[in-house]
Amino acid sequence: MTARFRPQFRFARRLGAVVGMLLVICGVLADAVEAQQPKRQSPPQPPVRGRQVPVLPPAPPPKAKADEPRAPELLPESVQADVSTRNVAVTSSFTGTEIVVFGAVDNSRQPGAESGYYDIVVVIEGTPGHVDVRRKSRVGGIWLNTRNASFHDVPSYYAIWSTRPLDEIASEATMIGYEIGFDHVRMTPSGGTEGIGSSSQLPAADLGEFRTALVRLKRQSGLYVKDEFGVTFIGRSLFRANIALPANVTVGPFDTRVYLFRNEKLLSQYNVRLNLEREGIERHVHDFALGWPLVYGISTVLMAMFAGLAAAYVSGKSLR
Amino acid sequence: MNLYLPIAEMSVSVFLILGMGASVGFLSGLFGVGGGFLLTPLLLFAGLPTLVAVGTAPAQVVASSVSGALSQWRRGNVDFKLGLVLVAGGVIGSFVGVKLVSVLRRTGQFDVFVSLTYVTLLGVVGTLMLIESLRSLQKTKRGVSSSLRRSGQHNWSHGLPLKMRFHRSKLYISALPPFMLGAFVGLLAAIMGVGGGFLIVPAMIYLLHVPTNVVVGTSQFQIIFVTAVTTILNATNSHSVDIVLALLLMLGGVIGAEAGAAAGERLKGEQLRFLLALMVLAVCLRVGWDLVSTPKDVFSIQTTEAP
Repeated sequence: MTARFRPQFRFARRLGAVVGMLLVICGVLADAVEAQQPKRQSPPQPPVRGRQVPVLPPAPPPKAKADEPRAPELLPESVQADVSTRNVAVTSSFTGTEIVVFGAVDNSRQPGAESGYYDIVVVIEGTPGHVDVRRKSRVGGIWLNTRNASFHDVPSYYAIWSTRPLDEIASEATMIGYEIGFDHVRMTPSGGTEGIGSSSQLPAADLGEFRTALVRLKRQSGLYVKDEFGVTFIGRSLFRANIALPANVTVGPFDTRVYLFRNEKLLSQYNVRLNLEREGIERHVHDFALGWPLVYGISTVLMAMFAGLAAAYVSGKSLR
Repeated sequence: MNLYLPIAEMSVSVFLILGMGASVGFLSGLFGVGGGFLLTPLLLFAGLPTLVAVGTAPAQVVASSVSGALSQWRRGNVDFKLGLVLVAGGVIGSFVGVKLVSVLRRTGQFDVFVSLTYVTLLGVVGTLMLIESLRSLQKTKRGVSSSLRRSGQHNWSHGLPLKMRFHRSKLYISALPPFMLGAFVGLLAAIMGVGGGFLIVPAMIYLLHVPTNVVVGTSQFQIIFVTAVTTILNATNSHSVDIVLALLLMLGGVIGAEAGAAAGERLKGEQLRFLLALMVLAVCLRVGWDLVSTPKDVFSIQTTEAP
């Protein structure tokens, strides 16, 4: 019995050996690449600091609530915030991450955490990019992309975390002014076309439909997210928000804006930069693919040929 | 276990990709085709961007063709001269195909075009193979030995210039038909992310009358070059080759191909062709269904890198 099985065992051993060898070679190559490139210096730009943003009067200043009684000895409130991780490393094991945005209200007049005296809105925007939105329709029984609209400066990721639903925090006009909310995400339409391959312009009135579709699809893929009760106060002035960044986010800088509202009025705004960077092998592979595409292509082919040779070696030996 | 793909910019399950590589490898070991025509749709179903799926599949086909061609070469089943004529055509076809891909991407009809090409070609080839294999299965039942090659047959292609002698294939034909065939398959390789084995094998048997035993080895030999060129062009033109994804697919493919080759030893040629035809038609129907059925969402978005 044992004698009959031996060749198969030998085959399995060889197969294991070759697969193992491939893995070892990949590991060695990765290490070599890592060793060759000196440890990456800290990014050239100075470490990004959060900054207080002077609050300009919003487009239509909400006059109604301005005459709130205010004790003269009290200083005006302002908000300061930071994120738990300024630089998120995207490595081969990256499956998304969770960041904590935390901050404090200076000169808080809030009696306690549960009082709901202030409202905080946290907005995180990913790197803006160009997005084409296409609409399919049936042409001769087949579904074809027939209408198309393009948008510039569309944030790749957009998160709104707040202490309450947005419509309870401030008026629609205020939210438009600060680009808060899915309906007010900044994106510049750059025209659209109608018909296959034609250049006839899409009526401007229809752009809204495409914009809604864009936001809906982004929400479906988990890139546009919101949590209407995601920001919680811990005590009189401290607050925090846990925000998840999914694995499919686009790598790049993220703008984080923290707004402090009181009675529909914006009191203070604070901005902080968050950076998502490829690290380790991911970084080298990506730089390699974009920097030396020809060498990268040839390497991929050589790797494939080697894998094929290894397979032929295994099968050739096992057949004998 | 998940792994982040650097070019596709998404996290995938390692075992899912290894499994896909292994199952495609199994089928390619069984049938002697590269398996790209199955791999691209599988990658699309797994949620990879069309561009990356089409760009990376040829890299996996390079690996499976190298191992396939080597084992055929050991048995003396590779006609290098015929293979090189096919390669010459294939390289030109790839260049045209890669250019066509960038034009189609600009019009926004790339996905639909790929699907339509798939359905048409898989439908035609699958149906023809099914009919042919059923006929030969019936013949073998009646005890008549079937031969696809009819000696002494002449047709229009024999009047063409540039006649060449292909010793291993025992052919004396014009170099133009194999050149054109190579170019056509190269074009498809670039557009569909396939090696074209499922097209070139029947075409060599039925159109060029190459002996069946030489066909698989020679087609695998030429597919190595076509897919290698396509991979390099994809890397330079559209940055769509994900080396991590390719490596995973190859590892799975190497294991699967061995199991497939072992399983293939137990089946007859007609049975294999019949099963392959069924599989080709199944993929055709699946892709075709997506084209005609009402989509879940009529809108789709595509993010392009800032120029």
